[in-house]
Amino acid sequence: MSHATERRRTPGEWLQLAVAATVVLAMFYPTVWMVLSAFKSNREIFAAPFGLPMDWRWENFAEAWEVGGLGELYLNSVIVTGTAVVICVGFATAAAFAFTRLEFPGRRALYRIMLIGLLLPPPVVAIPLFSLLRDLNLLNTLWALILPGAAWSLSLTVFLMSSYFNSVRPDMEEAALLDGANIWQIFLTVSVPMVWPAMLTMVILNTINIWNELIFALLFITDEDKRTLPVGLVRFYGYHSTDYALVFAALTITTIPILALYFLLQRHVIAGLTATAME
Amino acid sequence: MASGAANLLFVAPAVALFGGFVLFPLASAVYYAFTVWNGFSPPQWVGFANFQRAFADLTHLFAYVHVTLYILGTLVFEVAFGLMMAVLLNSDRRGFGVMRGMFFSPMVLSMTAAGVLWAFVLDYRTGLLNATLRAIGLDAFAQPWLSQSSTALFAIMIVSGWKFSGLYMVIFFAALRRIPRSIYEAARLDGAGPFAQFFSITLPLLRQNLLVCILLAVTGGFAGFDLFFILTNGGPFGATEVPATWIIKQAFDQNQLGYGTALTVILAVVVMSVAIAYLHFSERAHVTRY
Repeated sequence: MSHATERRRTPGEWLQLAVAATVVLAMFYPTVWMVLSAFKSNREIFAAPFGLPMDWRWENFAEAWEVGGLGELYLNSVIVTGTAVVICVGFATAAAFAFTRLEFPGRRALYRIMLIGLLLPPPVVAIPLFSLLRDLNLLNTLWALILPGAAWSLSLTVFLMSSYFNSVRPDMEEAALLDGANIWQIFLTVSVPMVWPAMLTMVILNTINIWNELIFALLFITDEDKRTLPVGLVRFYGYHSTDYALVFAALTITTIPILALYFLLQRHVIAGLTATAME
Repeated sequence: MASGAANLLFVAPAVALFGGFVLFPLASAVYYAFTVWNGFSPPQWVGFANFQRAFADLTHLFAYVHVTLYILGTLVFEVAFGLMMAVLLNSDRRGFGVMRGMFFSPMVLSMTAAGVLWAFVLDYRTGLLNATLRAIGLDAFAQPWLSQSSTALFAIMIVSGWKFSGLYMVIFFAALRRIPRSIYEAARLDGAGPFAQFFSITLPLLRQNLLVCILLAVTGGFAGFDLFFILTNGGPFGATEVPATWIIKQAFDQNQLGYGTALTVILAVVVMSVAIAYLHFSERAHVTRY
């Protein structure tokens, strides 16, 4: 850290460092164990669970990718998450703009109704949602995950975007109004650039939530070629639960990109994931 | 700024999507809860029969016992542990930033990845936990964590703590940073040790954050599904059956969608009442205190 102080550590600080490092390393060890085991053979995982692989079996990854159809799972997850996040953050930003900047009939009532989702766990509507999607002929299509995924993320996103709008004074928007701009121009050219940082945080928060969504994906998709990563991984584990090396390789392929992205964008990711509690 | 019905256009897309995929299913849930319905033939109205059955369904009642124990566990292994680590990791010294990053990292893994990884960590024969216990001579403690009733729920609490304590650590850490150092220095001059400082300064000042974190853990805990589904799916012998897993089994394995919906309505009412009671209670406590 750049502003780390350089005076000598006191005994108390040494103790703090020792305890903290022990706990953190113990917590991080399962992740390291997963990556190292992904390079081993099954026999080596059983015989020598600790330590580095004797020879690094990169072919485990190629096999897991092939056997698990991970390419297809990745593609489906990207399509579902990307579409749902764009819909959710776009709709929520427009709505938050209207709720905080404009006057219209039913404003307060609609805002309150939109927040109902904050306290409701998604499993609560899984069953009626299932029959609704079936009636719409959307079961077993990626829309069965995109539309409910975006809709369920709206409450939190509208709420957080509205409080961000409320924290910024409407001066610039009012100035643009005096200059003769209409509301749509103001929204697109003044407000959106102004709340862009908050939108980015919402993109990260919703991407992580929707990317990891399991229960809808489990219930609304039965075709193997429409599955997303979380369900694919559960099924893969179910079929190959005794082939440790293969499952570890699949786990590693699916988590390392996300971990790498996290360590690169740490500040933004943490801001996104804690936005709920900070508000 | 401006006013008029034309402004409704800004909220229309969000309201339409929310109405269609949240409010409408919610409303139909209330209807389906009073029916017998297998998902194929039309639902038949049966009045309160599903609810009578739900309150006599022992597995369902025990699911609430399990989820309550689980929530108590998460308060310890997620919230309290997260708070402890926030205090411990609160330092500008070299290395602490990296340690905070590592401690938070399980939060970005999917529940699925975390669940499958821990299924291996907790495996009786080859798991990392038992291997570690055997390596340090504690062979007697090695056990089939997930496949015996006495330890399965506890094991899931541990996994949950591993996955989520980073979230609470970061929340408490951000709050700790806002406490001025001069308060601690004054306390130190008065002879207060680290524990006295924690209980008389840190904890009271973090009260608001603590209340929010407890609310998050409680409401999140009631809806807990993913880890239970992956690690035990309610087993062994129903020892880890929680409302969400039982609902999905009733609805989609047994094709009793009416009964399953009634159970979800009960769950929603329980979660909302607990949250509202908690908010009411914590606000009152706040008023009487000052």
